[in-house]
Amino acid sequence: MAKQSFSVGQVLTAAQMTSLQATAMGGGSPSVKTASYTLVAADAGTVIQVNSTSATTITVNTGLFAAGDSVQIQNIGSGTTTITSGTATVNSAGSLGVTQYDGGFLYFSSASSAIWFDYTQAGTTLPLTTKGDLFGYSTTNARIPVGADATVLTADSTQALGVKWAAAGGADPNYTLLNSGGTSLSGSTTTITFTAYNSLLIAIENISTDAANSVIDIRLNSDSANNYGAGSWYMVSGNGSYQQEDQNASRIRLLRCNAAVSSDNRGYIQIWGAKTSGQKPFNLVGTGQPGSPNNGRSYVSVGRYVGSSAITSVSIIADAGSFDSGTVYIYGSN
Amino acid sequence: MTRIHKIVDANTNEVIERPYSKEEMAEYELDAKLKQKEQAQAESKATAKAALLEKLGITAEEATLLLS
Repeated sequence: MAKQSFSVGQVLTAAQMTSLQATAMGGGSPSVKTASYTLVAADAGTVIQVNSTSATTITVNTGLFAAGDSVQIQNIGSGTTTITSGTATVNSAGSLGVTQYDGGFLYFSSASSAIWFDYTQAGTTLPLTTKGDLFGYSTTNARIPVGADATVLTADSTQALGVKWAAAGGADPNYTLLNSGGTSLSGSTTTITFTAYNSLLIAIENISTDAANSVIDIRLNSDSANNYGAGSWYMVSGNGSYQQEDQNASRIRLLRCNAAVSSDNRGYIQIWGAKTSGQKPFNLVGTGQPGSPNNGRSYVSVGRYVGSSAITSVSIIADAGSFDSGTVYIYGSN
Repeated sequence: MTRIHKIVDANTNEVIERPYSKEEMAEYELDAKLKQKEQAQAESKATAKAALLEKLGITAEEATLLLS
């Protein structure tokens, strides 16, 4: 029943009371609309029910309703009804769209301004579709599809939803290859720059140069100062014992290449605390001059680098000739 | 002899190849001189050792036995 103006001494009929009660309880006989409709003053206190297979609008204009008036709007049709601000203002916490079997109250805070209270807040329908899905958010509500078995949800700011499914982390951090596919050695020095990681594993494969007896050294951050301290030993040919190798304090010795310029030379260095400003311990193994197991220079070295900057580059240096083969792989872990 | 320094940015895959800088070349030349000197000293020591063994009329293994 539409909003009434009662006068002193007026007698209400039973039908009027029943209708008023139904309206007060949020119900009452609806006024059915099968097309878009513009609200009129007589709609105050009534139920407008839209039933259309096409999209429709309910337009709200100013000067028709008083503060405190309300209109209930329902949509039972398959076409979405949109509460539309005509000359009046319509505020809402969410969408003004009313999908099928949704509804809400249009409450007037003044003659020119209304608030739309949506029953189900159309537009925020849960996006979940599959067992294990999670409710996420990007710039709007979104579905986080369930991940593969045994994976865990991990924060990742590069993802659209800010999270991703990833293998469960263990006690040991995983290493990431920083230079995809490895970097071929060429020239007399090859330097690779990369993002700082706390732990570095640098592996160098199939090194050779076009000069005999090249010594291969490693330098960090292109730092040529005497910031490298290491104890280094190599196997003495023929008797399997080790002899100390002189170390240059401005770089780290990896290996000596064979006089025959074989490419069967390789080594690695592990560096810890590479992202800190403090000392960075390392260990290294390198082997050159291939042949019988104890006939050659297999280096073992432990030491530390005391440069204060985080390590963001490594240089592989040949002291004679130029590299004609070799690949360096840089792995980082935090 | 031109020595080349190759620099690779692992993040962008940008590659720069340039000749050694003046400082890099100076370091290389100093190292080369030291290496030559060390090699000459090693060769001289080996030659002197061989000459002594020949003078004594013994082999290197026999000399090791005498000293053990």
